[in-house]
Amino acid sequence: MRQLSVILSIVLLTALSNDGKVNRSEAKVGERHVEFTLADIETGKPVSLSDFRGKKVLLIQFASW
Amino acid sequence: MPVWHEGTKEWVKDGKLVLLGITQEQHPERCRLFAQWKGIRWPILHDPINIMGSSAVPIFVAIDEHGIVRSIRPRLDRFEADFLNKSFADDTSLHQANQQTPTLPSGHPKSAFDQYQQRAEAEKTSVAWRTLGDVLTLWGGDGQINAALTAYSNAVRLAPNDGPAEFRLGVCYRRRYESSLRQLHDFQAAIDHWGRALEIDPNQYIWRRRIQQYGPRLEKPYSFYDWVEEAEKVIRARGEKPIQLAVRPDGAELAHPLRTFSEKKEASSPDPDGKIHRDDVGIVKAEVTNVPTRVRAGQTARIHITLRLDASKKAHWNNEAELLKIWIDPPACWRVSEQLLTAKPGTKVVSNEIRSLEFEVKVPEQVTGKVQIKAYALYNICDDVGGQCLFRRLDIPVDINIVK
Repeated sequence: MRQLSVILSIVLLTALSNDGKVNRSEAKVGERHVEFTLADIETGKPVSLSDFRGKKVLLIQFASW
Repeated sequence: MPVWHEGTKEWVKDGKLVLLGITQEQHPERCRLFAQWKGIRWPILHDPINIMGSSAVPIFVAIDEHGIVRSIRPRLDRFEADFLNKSFADDTSLHQANQQTPTLPSGHPKSAFDQYQQRAEAEKTSVAWRTLGDVLTLWGGDGQINAALTAYSNAVRLAPNDGPAEFRLGVCYRRRYESSLRQLHDFQAAIDHWGRALEIDPNQYIWRRRIQQYGPRLEKPYSFYDWVEEAEKVIRARGEKPIQLAVRPDGAELAHPLRTFSEKKEASSPDPDGKIHRDDVGIVKAEVTNVPTRVRAGQTARIHITLRLDASKKAHWNNEAELLKIWIDPPACWRVSEQLLTAKPGTKVVSNEIRSLEFEVKVPEQVTGKVQIKAYALYNICDDVGGQCLFRRLDIPVDINIVK
């Protein structure tokens, strides 16, 4: 099931884009945040936003540089 | 970001809030070291290909218990009252994004890859090929890099202005360059594709940063990985072992020490008459990477020269002899940051590591077209079979492409 979730998430993100256009999954207040699954840098295991359903989340996109 | 890490610690500890990070950088272990240094325990996910589509960082988004976005760029001083202490209703049923759920593949990742491959071949669309590339890049490991490169290349062939596919091609080429699968000119291919992506969308700051990481130092607004040394020192002082970095930041990735273009001639050519024997059998191979690929008159390019031993020639660096040097001889009126580059000494008597040296070149005004800078390397190598040690010269022409 985890694998399915991973693949689904990638497709949901990529499905937002069209040929020749930059894909953006920018958050909008009042809308459900787009689902995503990416690898945890510590464990390498897939983690999805939906894993935290039922909890309040502060999502931080950053870079160490 | 450190302000939010510090300011939310109690809420995270009490289970009132989950902090979830996504790092937009090429090397995940560098972010691991950063997290170790800052004492970050919350999960951080790796998005090397910018699948989130974010054009800049940092981005802060408050998401409620139903997965609904309640605030973008929230304020820390009002976070508890405006978000944490509030109960939200699941009120988005009328505002769902129009997302299609595809027929899902199942089972082992290999079968998932195969299904995406079949879908891309059947649909013949840029999106389908790019999606295959994404799946392979994010979940396929180094073993799927070549397949990912093919998938993204197919996406770009079908949609030449597919910026994300161009950017992701760059990510994969750089990744292959750092792997055992590396091929000649992988690094230059990465720079070329990142440059093309940026031409398509010049406002994409995440993409721009990936080029800047390896580009001229003086064009960077601030440093990239200068913090690494300080972080390792602090971590060691705490009695911990710092996270090992697979690829240590070096050269262009460090802002210090700052070097400017010198008017003075600081050194003289170590082989002015060209008398040192050439490496005619190709024991050492040189690879030149220009960042950016094409430079404007009056601007600066950073040149990376990578030297590696040809495995078939069975030789190694002789680290007991003089250090590897590169001499750069620019045309009149051209300025380079250094004319004589010296490689770091090897840690053992002999070694066979890849050696990289970098310099910057400032193109004079009013110059266009292709200009060649003469450069050569001098090195000591020993033959593994016969035991003979040699001092050799390798001429390395550096072509600079100048655009108006």
